[in-house]
Order: sequence, then C-alpha cells, then structure tokens
Amino acid sequence: MTNSVNPFILAHGKKPSCIEMLQLILDGEATAEQQAYFKSHMDKCAPCFKSYDLDNTIKELLKTRCCGDSVPAGLVEQIKVQISQNQPS
Amino acid sequence: MEEETLRQSYTNQEKNDIFNNEFLPHIKSMYNFGYRLTFDQDDAKDLVQDTYLKAFRFIESFQKGTNAKAWLFRILKNSFINDYRKKSKEPSKVDYQEVESYYNSEEVDRQITPDLRVESLKDMIGDEISNALNALDVDFRTVIILCDLEGFKYEEMAKILDIPIGTVRSRLHRARNLLKEKLGEYAKSMGYKNTES
Repeated sequence: MTNSVNPFILAHGKKPSCIEMLQLILDGEATAEQQAYFKSHMDKCAPCFKSYDLDNTIKELLKTRCCGDSVPAGLVEQIKVQISQNQPS
Repeated sequence: MEEETLRQSYTNQEKNDIFNNEFLPHIKSMYNFGYRLTFDQDDAKDLVQDTYLKAFRFIESFQKGTNAKAWLFRILKNSFINDYRKKSKEPSKVDYQEVESYYNSEEVDRQITPDLRVESLKDMIGDEISNALNALDVDFRTVIILCDLEGFKYEEMAKILDIPIGTVRSRLHRARNLLKEKLGEYAKSMGYKNTES
C-alpha cells in the first residue's frame, strides 16, 4: 500500500514540502493521484494530519463568517438606471 | 498591453440578458470584495457601480457563457488600484522580495502557531475571523478573499491579479500564516493555553 512515486514532484524535480502539498489539497488543486498520495502521507505525518484539520476549519469559517454582508438596497437599481442612460436606444 | 480581444456583436437585448443573467448574480460577492478592500460602504458601492458600468461598456469583449465572475473581480481590483488607492493614502505595499525569500526558506515548514487549535477556532463565534482577515495587508487579504471566500482557482486568481501562479501560491501561503498568527492571538486572549492536548 505504498505510493513510491510522489505525484506532487514537479517537472523540474523539486520535492514539495508538506505545506505545499497541503495547500494544493485544501484548495482543490490536487489531482486524484495527488489526493490519494496525500491521504496515505497523512498516516505517516502527524503535523500534516493536524494542519489539515486546522486549515480546513479556517477555510470553512472564512467562507461562513465573512460572506454575509448584503448588498445595499437600491444599488442594483442605481446601476441599471446609469446603464440605461448611457445605452443608445 | 497586447491583448487579443475577440469582439462580439450583441443586440441591446442580448447585452441586457448577459448583464442580468451573467453579471448581476455576482453582485453580492462583488460588494463584499469592495467592502473588504475599502472598509467603507460608500466606497464599496462606488467600486461595484464603476465595475458594472465598465463591464457593460466593454460587454462586447466578453464572450457569453465564459467566466464573468473572474472578469468582474479583475475589473474591480483594477479600479481599486487605479482609482481608489491613488485617492486614499493606502500604506505602502509589502516587500514581496522578502515574502518570496521567506517562502523559500526552511522556516516555512515550521508550524507557526502550534497553540492554535480547531476547538479554539470553533469557539470564536463573534467577529474574530472577520477581524483577523481585515487586519491583513490588502494584498494578502485579497488572495484569501479570492481563494477561500470566493473559491477561485489559482489560475483564475493569477489572471485576476496579473501575477504568476507561483506567486499566487506563495502569497496565499504567507497570508494564511499571518491569519493564523492573528487567530492565535485571539485564541490566547480567549484564555486558551499554549499546550498540546
């Protein structure tokens, strides 16, 4: 059950750090192969296991706590009025 | 700038349809972005309004069904830099040379805030997360907004910000470390001890 080749290794051969791998996973930028590799990597790397949870929580909290502002009343109408004034009929 | 633009030809009705169906649905995200860049409701409104007016003016450079959200974010970001930042005296930009060399150093693999834990984060029910985000320098704040709040991919972020993907990644990494430092301070002030369980 070991993946001998690290699929995160880039064309220039540089071995990625744990943090670089984790970031790709968290941001949904990893391929299926990289995801599988990282899953088994976490079994052997406690800091990655811990950071994964923490970073994921922060990402979720950012999304739920920082996107709530509603658009001021009338803004859409204001924009539409401006556009219709500038639009040749 | 040499940019090949394939101009479309839309009727007024088509323009209005694109505007209503592809541009306007993003207005909440746009306003949130504008507000988190300026921290001022009126400035955010102005930025959003300018963005939509510009988008409409150049609508024929937009191909129906493509990535309207990324385009709108790019316009807003540029309006912010070119119009707003010039007017207001924003503090000087971060020294990215320093950032990049930091990223390439050994230091980054060290856990910066070992005391920050999931439980303490989940207890932050007030504005701590939002305040921590707002406390970041605008360029760091921006990458977090684009990636974590809005879910843009690295490639889209690179296009919105006019920077290489490698820079997107390193800036994001640094931004997250700074955010964690901030959250660690909040956790500490909430009485969480720096001990591992």
